[in-house]
Amino acid sequence: MQELVGRLARVDPDAGAAVKVIAYFDRLVEGRAGLEPIVRGAAVLAGCAARLVDEQRRVQVRIDVHGRVRGDIGLPDPDWPSAPLVQDGPPVLWLERGGPAGPVDAMVLERAAAAARAVLERTRGRSKALEDPASVEVLFDAAVAAQTRLAIAHRLGIAENAQVRAVALINEVGRVESADGASWPGKRRSTDRRAGIGPIGDVVDLPVSWSGARTALRFTAAETAQDPGPRIVHADQLGGLAVLADVIGPDTDPVPDVHAIERAKTDAPWVLATLVAVATSPSLRTAATTLRVHHSTLQERLGHVEHVLGWSIRDPQGRLRLHLAIAMWRLHQR
Amino acid sequence: MTDVIGPPPPFDPELAAAIAIAGEKMPDIGRMLARGGDAVATARALRDEMADFLLDPDADLTRDGAFTVSEREVSGPDGAPDITLLICRPNNAPPPVGVIYFVHGGGMVVGDRFTGLANFLGVAEELGVAVVSVEYRLAPEHPHPAPVDDCYAGLLWTVEHAEELGVDPARVVIAGGSAGGGLTAATALLAKDRGGPALLGQLLLCPMLDDRNDTYSARQMAGVGLWDQTANQFGWSALLGDAQGGDDVSPYAAPARATDLSGLPPAFIDVGSAETFRDEAVEYASRIWRAGGIAELHVWPGGFHGFSGIVPQAAVSQAAGQAPRAWLRRILAD
Repeated sequence: MQELVGRLARVDPDAGAAVKVIAYFDRLVEGRAGLEPIVRGAAVLAGCAARLVDEQRRVQVRIDVHGRVRGDIGLPDPDWPSAPLVQDGPPVLWLERGGPAGPVDAMVLERAAAAARAVLERTRGRSKALEDPASVEVLFDAAVAAQTRLAIAHRLGIAENAQVRAVALINEVGRVESADGASWPGKRRSTDRRAGIGPIGDVVDLPVSWSGARTALRFTAAETAQDPGPRIVHADQLGGLAVLADVIGPDTDPVPDVHAIERAKTDAPWVLATLVAVATSPSLRTAATTLRVHHSTLQERLGHVEHVLGWSIRDPQGRLRLHLAIAMWRLHQR
Repeated sequence: MTDVIGPPPPFDPELAAAIAIAGEKMPDIGRMLARGGDAVATARALRDEMADFLLDPDADLTRDGAFTVSEREVSGPDGAPDITLLICRPNNAPPPVGVIYFVHGGGMVVGDRFTGLANFLGVAEELGVAVVSVEYRLAPEHPHPAPVDDCYAGLLWTVEHAEELGVDPARVVIAGGSAGGGLTAATALLAKDRGGPALLGQLLLCPMLDDRNDTYSARQMAGVGLWDQTANQFGWSALLGDAQGGDDVSPYAAPARATDLSGLPPAFIDVGSAETFRDEAVEYASRIWRAGGIAELHVWPGGFHGFSGIVPQAAVSQAAGQAPRAWLRRILAD
């Protein structure tokens, strides 16, 4: 029913084509256009039908070359040029045309995918992505290209220049926390659970932070009488203890001092808590307060436990030896 | 009450994206008019400039054999030259068939009987009706009343020769866009006032109705789109000369000047919210209703003048294309 027949449609592969494709999708994004206009843009600019199928989000849009929505969506042909939503991800956007993508096609796919990604983030992607622990784990994987990790961080809503750290938890996937208190996945900060906290740094350095967090987690305890010790350990406060973590594990042979801790632990229910309090308190008096026993009771118990251990824990040297023994004992646990 | 005029409503995102890459494909009417010079020379320059834009060289008027296309030289208005009618008769519909009497657009100064016709043939094929397109004389060489008189003369001839054409004189819809919409409305007024042919309906697409050219929308969209206030000024001045905007303008030149809009055939009126003609189109519909008449009004959000023809693939263009089809189907139904 048009009055004018001048059509603005297919972009010819001339020198200005790339600029036009970029301008087209930029304007769609500026106008907060939805997925359908984006796929339509791909179809019309490339001069063939186009489709967006995101299995994960259960989204599918197919538009023919005239810009009409088509419901008849079969399987994509593996020969069609396609683009993923994020680098190295599965293809989500296709131009329904055989043969390799020409320069205009490639640009259309790239810009349309970027625009679609923005829409999906805005409309249904972000909340889903936040609940997708797998995405977060990729951020910890140094084997994944840094660009991909940055793209996923972006999808999760983590700013590229954010200062972040990894948090390792028991029997749960890791988390990312930012310096300003945000957390992925989810909003909850992990202050109530055993957590190893990695050093803070750039998004691309999360694998390093993750490694530190996992090491720190091995030094944590349940903070109960049976498993006394700190629930939360920061990797950047471990110092030389971190070196121990590299050489001691569940499968390595325990040194005699670790056997001594095991032996003492089974001797009486109060032993382990007492040893941890003595090793980590500035004075025996503070340790007694922590353990809620009288100072003289503590002295009495120490006499007993020193006998089981085989060395004095009331002098600095002996306390260092105790501290190391407890640390090594924990490292053998996990 | 005077309302503050804000910035132009934003273009629909898909329309904006298409315009962003249009480049030299869009005729620059403003630049042509800025050159100044006499009206005839300017109009001729505009016709050259817009020839490619207004004509689709690939248009197949037979629509792959669906229509038999012929031309007739028929009597013009009294004392005026003959006029040419382009007649497209459907081959697969038994006579008599309904007929769309088509008046092309072009600001009163450009265009011919082929301008924008192809799209009307599409709907005519769907409905099994004929299309008659009138070649009216253009301003400024032929000022008012030449254009509207030609349109009316062609309509009279069509109805009087209905049997010969195989069309049903009781099933005539008059249709046009832009200046063609204005001439369509004017021809409908003439037919009513002169006791001429009874029309089934008048289809006014983004019609050019008001020579005063000072509505809110005309001022709001100054400098915006293909046909802004300056271009509109040129069109009306070409048609009316010094009378433009004055006290003595005929409603058959500018239908907005009509004082009695009662007794008109049912109207379909559409317009974009971001175009010069918005307010006069809305006002015309309102005045038809006020007079007790029948009108269907569509204001397409973010549409600039001619949007549905220039960017046919956009969702808003598709909707704008469907609405008049549905209306025609209803009123032309047997």
